[in-house]
Amino acid sequence: MAKLVCTMAVAHAPGLTGWLEVATPQQQSNLKAGYAELGRLLRESRPDVVLGFSNDHLLNLPFDNTPDFCIGTAPEWHGPAPWFLDWLNIRPYRVAGNPQVARTLVRELDRRGVAFAFRDDLLFDDNFSVPLTTLTPDYDLPLVPVHMNCIVPPVPSAARCFEVGAKVAEVVRDVLPEHLRVAILATGGMSHDPGGLRYFEIDEAFDRWFLALLENGESERALVECSFERFLAAGDGGTAELLSWFIPWGAAKGHRARVVCYEPTVAMRCGMGGVVWDYGG
Amino acid sequence: MSIVDVVRTLPSNRMVFHVRRDMALVQRFRVDLEGLMTLYGLSEDEKIAFRAQDLRRLAELGVHPYFLTQITRLFHGSARNTQGSAAIQAYVKGLTGAAE
Repeated sequence: MAKLVCTMAVAHAPGLTGWLEVATPQQQSNLKAGYAELGRLLRESRPDVVLGFSNDHLLNLPFDNTPDFCIGTAPEWHGPAPWFLDWLNIRPYRVAGNPQVARTLVRELDRRGVAFAFRDDLLFDDNFSVPLTTLTPDYDLPLVPVHMNCIVPPVPSAARCFEVGAKVAEVVRDVLPEHLRVAILATGGMSHDPGGLRYFEIDEAFDRWFLALLENGESERALVECSFERFLAAGDGGTAELLSWFIPWGAAKGHRARVVCYEPTVAMRCGMGGVVWDYGG
Repeated sequence: MSIVDVVRTLPSNRMVFHVRRDMALVQRFRVDLEGLMTLYGLSEDEKIAFRAQDLRRLAELGVHPYFLTQITRLFHGSARNTQGSAAIQAYVKGLTGAAE
């Protein structure tokens, strides 16, 4: 019986590593402190493997065959993909994978009615590169990445993602090797509209409403009210990336999350922040 | 303009998807856009919109909105992608026809 030692969700916008200096001094300070704290919490949980769930930015899941979830089975990952290097201001890095854990998840989730596509050639842009660089700057925590379809409709519902999260936690608890310490890290969101008409706006009211649902543990209400249309209204092109946050929320059985930081950073064209569930499964 | 209006079968979407994954194609985008557009079978309407960097028209044709800012980065570079960058200014111009 493996143990779920950390469940966390963070925004991953490229400005955090690429051009943070143009945010207000207060926002810079709060985000630096917040992501440092999130990194400390993740590292201090001493996971043997991090199950990362993030939206794919049309980099891996092709338009002619777009699965809801695609898990990475490679023994090692390299990032960022070359074209994203100067955008992200992140130097090339390597991080270990865990093919055994990835393949076990595919097999066991199949048996629970969840079909993950799988590949060993996934490319990382900001989706994993920004969280890895800010939370684990030594890139020393093995990662099993799962790329989700959050922005090519039809996308999975919040309820489906919550259910998948619960089943992932079930596999962790019931199938993965005894003594294995597992973290679940979701990345994506918060409100933003890349390529859309609200590209230079943050829907702070929506972000704070969503964070309040998490803080209050109102998962049942969130599953009803966080419709795809609600996400679109808060930022058409990117806010639905928050579907990834329902994976750890489902893994944590809908418990309350704790908001570590939040900033409506217009300069980064994205609401930024992160939460942690003080729940070990 | 919305992600619900994306046309998944549009050749432009396939082209931009592949370009961002391959630096050789990024280079070709910069030096031989015409050849690249022909290779991927873009329609004349798509080609005209790309030549003019007319983002609104590309969106109308079914290009994924997420690609619009990436297209301006392919044309104008990605580093330090602040509101004042050439790529973001091109995005504003390409969407509204006027600089911010």
